[in-house]
Amino acid sequence: MKASTFTFAGGLAIVPAIERDAVEKYQLLTKDEFMEYATLSQTMPGVIALNCATLVGRHAAGFLGMLAAGFGAILPAFSLMVVATVLANMVPQQGPILGAMRGIRAASAALVLSAAFSLGKYNLKSGFAIILMVAAFLLVVAGNIGAPLIVVLSGVTGCIYQRIKRYRDKRRSDAN
Amino acid sequence: MLIECFRLFYTFIKLGFLSFGGGYAMLSMIMSEAQSFSVSPAQFADLNALDMVVPGAIAINAATYVGYLHQGLPGAIAATAGVSLPSFILTVVIMRFFAHFKDNVWLTDTLSGIKPAAVGLIAAAAITIAANVLILPGKNIGDLRINPLGTLSLACIIIFILTAIFNLRFKVNPILLTVLAGVVGALVMA
Repeated sequence: MKASTFTFAGGLAIVPAIERDAVEKYQLLTKDEFMEYATLSQTMPGVIALNCATLVGRHAAGFLGMLAAGFGAILPAFSLMVVATVLANMVPQQGPILGAMRGIRAASAALVLSAAFSLGKYNLKSGFAIILMVAAFLLVVAGNIGAPLIVVLSGVTGCIYQRIKRYRDKRRSDAN
Repeated sequence: MLIECFRLFYTFIKLGFLSFGGGYAMLSMIMSEAQSFSVSPAQFADLNALDMVVPGAIAINAATYVGYLHQGLPGAIAATAGVSLPSFILTVVIMRFFAHFKDNVWLTDTLSGIKPAAVGLIAAAAITIAANVLILPGKNIGDLRINPLGTLSLACIIIFILTAIFNLRFKVNPILLTVLAGVVGALVMA
């Protein structure tokens, strides 16, 4: 089964790693086909690296290929993370180690914040986007509303807003 | 045990279907749900640090971590299976029915709302984690209202601000910054 070779991709299953092995090494698909799947895997919901693996696996070797590629992407991450979690829980939390942990946690919070900043640079290009961002932030922090509900609401808001906008643009151009 | 594992599975499959836009967006959703699995914001900060050193997709690592903390190995399996299943299901559905899924106008409209909201969710997660990890040991977040200066840890706040500046402005590698923060923390806060 050709696609079982996919078990490699796992761990570092970031999209370029899949590209290198699937396109160049095993020639399961062309570069253009791969780019198509890479874009698709970012548009559809779910884990991006896993989406990419299942799409490529399905393309290369059908349903079984999808399963092989998918498990290849999950298993290394899963097993390494179990080991890391067990080890992290064994570390005694006192003295200098507690100090180190507190430093790491502070840095970690800052890195999540900078992730929000860098993502914001690409996604906040209109007044509508900024309002949605602020609303989502306030609803979680002050309103204590769960994130999944906010995702659903913001998706619906996006749909309604774009429709109204297209309707208005159309009327405006009809009037001219 | 079985019921809790099923609850993990259900929660993570829901997150899998709802998550657009990659690791950090999903991480913020997982955090908002993790409290019901008794994972604290401080543990979540640890998760984020572990995520950087453990290879693999952030969301799979996060599911494994939350599942393991809540119910051990069976919990880790349940949560990881939950977060992964949507990819398999959607791959089958999309390849069969939607040749032009990514150009679908409903999808792009929906994403135009979800993407900016995801930025807000990540910022909210960052603030929640920060409020919980920038305080002195033995204090809790309620003390912030009563005596903010006696509750906050100055060393942690300085590490927090410097990490953000070095990462955003000078693009210093996050893993390096985390290691440095650990070393500084061990020296200053021992």
